[in-house]
Amino acid sequence: MSLVVQVIVTGLAAGGVYGLFAVGYSLIYRLTGVVYFAFGDLVAFAVFTTLLVAAGTGPVSQTSLGLGRFVLGLGVGLILCVGVGAATYVLFIEPYLLRGSTLGWVASTLAIAFALRGMVGAVFTRPAYVFPDPFHFEGLGRNGIVTIAGASVQIRSFFVIGLAAGLAALAAWALDRTKRGRALQAIASDPEAARFVGLPVETLVALTFGLVGGLAAIAAVVAAPSAPFTVDSGALLGLKGLVAALIVRFGSPWAAFAAGLGVGLAEAAIDNMGGIGLGPQYGELIPLAFALGVIAYRSLRSEPAPSPA
Amino acid sequence: MNATSGVLGQTRLELAAAAREARAAWSWTATLWVLAFVGAALVPLVLSTGRMADLAGFVYLALAAVGLGYAVGLAGIPSLGQGAFLGIGAFAEALLRAKAGWPLLPSLVIAVGVTTAAGVLAGLATGRLRSAFVAVSTWILSWIVLLALTSFPRISGGAQGLVLPEATVLGHTLTPTGHYLVGISLVALAILALAVLAPRGPGLALAAGRDEPAAAVGLGVPVARLRLGIFTASATIAGLAGALGVELAQVADPSSYGPILSFELFVAVILGGARLPLGPVVGLAVISGFKHLSEQIGGLRGLPPGRLEEMLTGYGMLLVLGLGGAGLLPAARTWWRSRIPAPRGKRTQAAKGSPHVIEQPVPLEARRVSKHFGSLIALDALDLDLEPGKVHALIGPNGSGKTTALRALVGELEPDGGSVALGQTRLEGPARPRALLGVVGTQQATAVFADLTVLQNALVGAGLRRQHAGPVRTVLRTPKARRDDEVTEGKARAALSLVGLFDPDRPAAELTAHEQRLLMLASALATQPRVLLLDEPAAGASATELDRLAELLDELRDSGLALLVIEHNLRFVRRVADQVTVLEAGRRIASGTLAEVATDENVRAAYLGRQSLS
Repeated sequence: MSLVVQVIVTGLAAGGVYGLFAVGYSLIYRLTGVVYFAFGDLVAFAVFTTLLVAAGTGPVSQTSLGLGRFVLGLGVGLILCVGVGAATYVLFIEPYLLRGSTLGWVASTLAIAFALRGMVGAVFTRPAYVFPDPFHFEGLGRNGIVTIAGASVQIRSFFVIGLAAGLAALAAWALDRTKRGRALQAIASDPEAARFVGLPVETLVALTFGLVGGLAAIAAVVAAPSAPFTVDSGALLGLKGLVAALIVRFGSPWAAFAAGLGVGLAEAAIDNMGGIGLGPQYGELIPLAFALGVIAYRSLRSEPAPSPA
Repeated sequence: MNATSGVLGQTRLELAAAAREARAAWSWTATLWVLAFVGAALVPLVLSTGRMADLAGFVYLALAAVGLGYAVGLAGIPSLGQGAFLGIGAFAEALLRAKAGWPLLPSLVIAVGVTTAAGVLAGLATGRLRSAFVAVSTWILSWIVLLALTSFPRISGGAQGLVLPEATVLGHTLTPTGHYLVGISLVALAILALAVLAPRGPGLALAAGRDEPAAAVGLGVPVARLRLGIFTASATIAGLAGALGVELAQVADPSSYGPILSFELFVAVILGGARLPLGPVVGLAVISGFKHLSEQIGGLRGLPPGRLEEMLTGYGMLLVLGLGGAGLLPAARTWWRSRIPAPRGKRTQAAKGSPHVIEQPVPLEARRVSKHFGSLIALDALDLDLEPGKVHALIGPNGSGKTTALRALVGELEPDGGSVALGQTRLEGPARPRALLGVVGTQQATAVFADLTVLQNALVGAGLRRQHAGPVRTVLRTPKARRDDEVTEGKARAALSLVGLFDPDRPAAELTAHEQRLLMLASALATQPRVLLLDEPAAGASATELDRLAELLDELRDSGLALLVIEHNLRFVRRVADQVTVLEAGRRIASGTLAEVATDENVRAAYLGRQSLS
């Protein structure tokens, strides 16, 4: 019982972050047909910018940070994230979309990923970073840990779950209820028609590239203190979000978010199944293999109609 | 004894023919290639052994990049899985050698076989996906291989990796120089094979499937099978490169395979120019240059190795990709050609093509063919008879189901009900078997293979009847394949002169809209159909072009072909059609000669009446 509670809480906390990534991947795919391979590294860039402004590149203790400095850091991180996301779209992705070159945007989104990761890595040279916690969860419960049904869980996990669900709801609400959101839906269903009726398609799409990054970055920053964060962490988070998005075929925000939670739960469950031959080394592997299996199944069942490159 | 000398004599003749062909095809570019290879083979004379090991490692990576070029350049498959296949080949080799103690050559065979099997599985799994999904799933495959290798230290040897025993072949130790020579020979072979394949049967068919998949499938090109084949070949080459590379390094390090390697190889292919066999090698050299430079700079700044390198490589890649277009090598070639006026392509004589005669004319009968999309009824129990030596026009307002009918007849759409028969044979299944029986249709939209020349477009159609010219035979230039090439080219040229296109070496993209329609018709004719279905062949034609097209259709009718023409221009229909069927909302509302149909009340109400009002 205690294990089940622990798996559910840690799984949902991790899955909430994956879910926000999945929402972002799905939205971008449905708007442009692009799979934004640089997503994870864009978020890592935002997370490390936050750290740089809030605490510098040196070692930090979890308690050494005030809320004000943290909010400033997060603000700078988010603004840069939106700016860089939008700029990379305009400079390196849109030109290939205009030419209809899949090979081109695949190469350039990956190159963006490596450029961003390299940039972060050149500044933050230590193998892993402990993130400061501005909310001081360690002051609650026993050192930030609470016991539920015999299981010790981090209080932060609940906060992360709530925040992620809130952000996903915000994204879904914005898409459905705001003018900009409905404009995005119009673009997704027919970009030419959207352009024809006078929507600023390029601007909206470029902003979306940045904003979805910001969304995932907020969750990633808040979740970061629970475990050491490395320069490569962003790529791994992004990969799991991509897996979730793929399982629901880049579906609606809620479907993508749910898939992210599912991946998080599966990972946490597999990590804790050392007793039956599984264990942490399978936690990342099995969801990936599952996603590949889902793709293969759909591919083999579908009609033989290859689409142009 | 006699039989043996007969066979030997035959072989001698074939070899002589092959030599003649080689001599005829020889050019100064070929001389340059040979000189380049000889130059590369002499490099070990001037470099130290340590340098040779680095260089040999580069050459093996280049081999994998050239292999990736097969999938990316020829077939347009955005594979991000090459690093995974290198890893599979490398670890299969390392496990057999280090753990099972096998000798080099048998392990090499098994390692390459394992990678081939992985390639087939991955190719089957992704074969029918949209290309964005292919990129994602091969990317995930790369991660899976990396995670599997790094998560199970018991298998992959942990942080130290697996250490291999010394590599020996027939008692000789394989030195870095030996590896280098093996490597450049394999790279040269891989480039040569691609250069031979690309402009011939299966290569053209792959390019056709890359540029206009629907049109290629319509001409009976087995697109899915060819794509699977080329993807597997690309994986196999990666497996070979991985296995040999691990023999060279003598240690298998799990962390060096996976997504980053896949990315570098993919970018190398795009950067250098995917469509040219040498492009990936050039691209990889540029990337290696970047990395080397970044290491130097990083070393000066006292940064940990790898980080700055990643950043500068990423920036450099973005810069070159941004400037790039088709890639470095094609750009260089365009620049070079712009300096030297290219020899004008030979115009073929406007000689009359060989009179087109259908040997076994056969009627096509469609009975109660139905198709609906959701609640929309596109075809409602359509009956249609196409007779040999007759032109049948299918007319009707927009959205009345004309194109749907054509697509159902050629096997592009699966009808919900009804039957189609060619003579006594029931027609079923996809386009290729129907095309082989002689039923071929053209696309409604203009869909020529824009990256191919006029002649190559027609060759894609003519390739349907190639018997002994699969990819392997084509690459090996076997006597049968060469004869097949000649026959195919004859058919293609005949079809081109029949429709009146006399500039075979022009890029198809440069033709006018009407000429492109004629080219589509020529490609379809080159498949030697008995029943030909044309979707708006007259679209965009001028008055004189319409006359020429009508004469062409007359000529085809006289050859015994059964023709279906979807057309809006009623004057043109009056000129060419023997029979007319009128569709409205998926139903046949009248059938007969144009005069009979024109007096029909239903037709006047539904179609002609509306036209006379406007």
